[in-house]
Amino acid sequence: MELLTGIAATGGALNSQRTRLDIIAQNIANARTTRGPDGGPYQRRIVSFESELLRSTDSANGAKSPGLATVRVSGVTTDPTPGQRVNDPGHPDADAQGMVTLPNVNLAFEMVDLITASRAYEANLNVAKNSRQMALKTLEIGK
Amino acid sequence: MIAPVANSLNYQLASKLLDASVMRHEAIATNIANAETPGFRRIDVASDFNRALRSQFTGGRPPSPSDVAAINPHLAVDANVRTVRPDGNSVEIETELMAMSRNRVDHEFLTEIVSRHIKQLKMAISGRVT
Repeated sequence: MELLTGIAATGGALNSQRTRLDIIAQNIANARTTRGPDGGPYQRRIVSFESELLRSTDSANGAKSPGLATVRVSGVTTDPTPGQRVNDPGHPDADAQGMVTLPNVNLAFEMVDLITASRAYEANLNVAKNSRQMALKTLEIGK
Repeated sequence: MIAPVANSLNYQLASKLLDASVMRHEAIATNIANAETPGFRRIDVASDFNRALRSQFTGGRPPSPSDVAAINPHLAVDANVRTVRPDGNSVEIETELMAMSRNRVDHEFLTEIVSRHIKQLKMAISGRVT
């Protein structure tokens, strides 16, 4: 039994949300990168989560219980949708027809995702704060 | 000789409910952590814990502390959720945060009760109010 209850679940979630924020930052930073390491335009990255069982809490009388689960990043995948093509003959990465393929990053979409991720991070921080207060109260028993 | 104090019904009840409140906090932490995991269903302390406790008090006379001690909380998937998102997730972050604040007040109250019981015992041993 841990002293700070629920901190394992919250810690995993904070890490995962941080990774998500990092990836969103990367997407926004590369919103106009037309030449990546592979020569093509930057492809938007997507973070996916999966839950991870921390411990099962089956009751003594054998009733099945779902158990406590944290969350972790299951993988970072590349969004395969093609990027927008614009006519810009002066661009160094323009093809023979003068068309440039831009990254498939949609700034509005990334901003919404950014806010969702930071709100989720905040909610988890709140849980951590509460765990701490509860632990302090528990330690005060008998004082 | 000390056993009757440590075994008093109120003390047993408070420590049982304290266990349940810690377990509920863990469940809420899990729910908030998985607020965006597709297919995750929110968990909570199983309602049969409350039901079992209440049934101990319906007979008209208080139950024995050992009966109360035999009831243990456990976690279960919450079957009464109002909404499920298209990705199969049933966590509402606002509800969870509300439940967490409420649970914290419960926890504070119960630690106080347990604490006072222990203080009372100390006072009886030492004969001093400190």
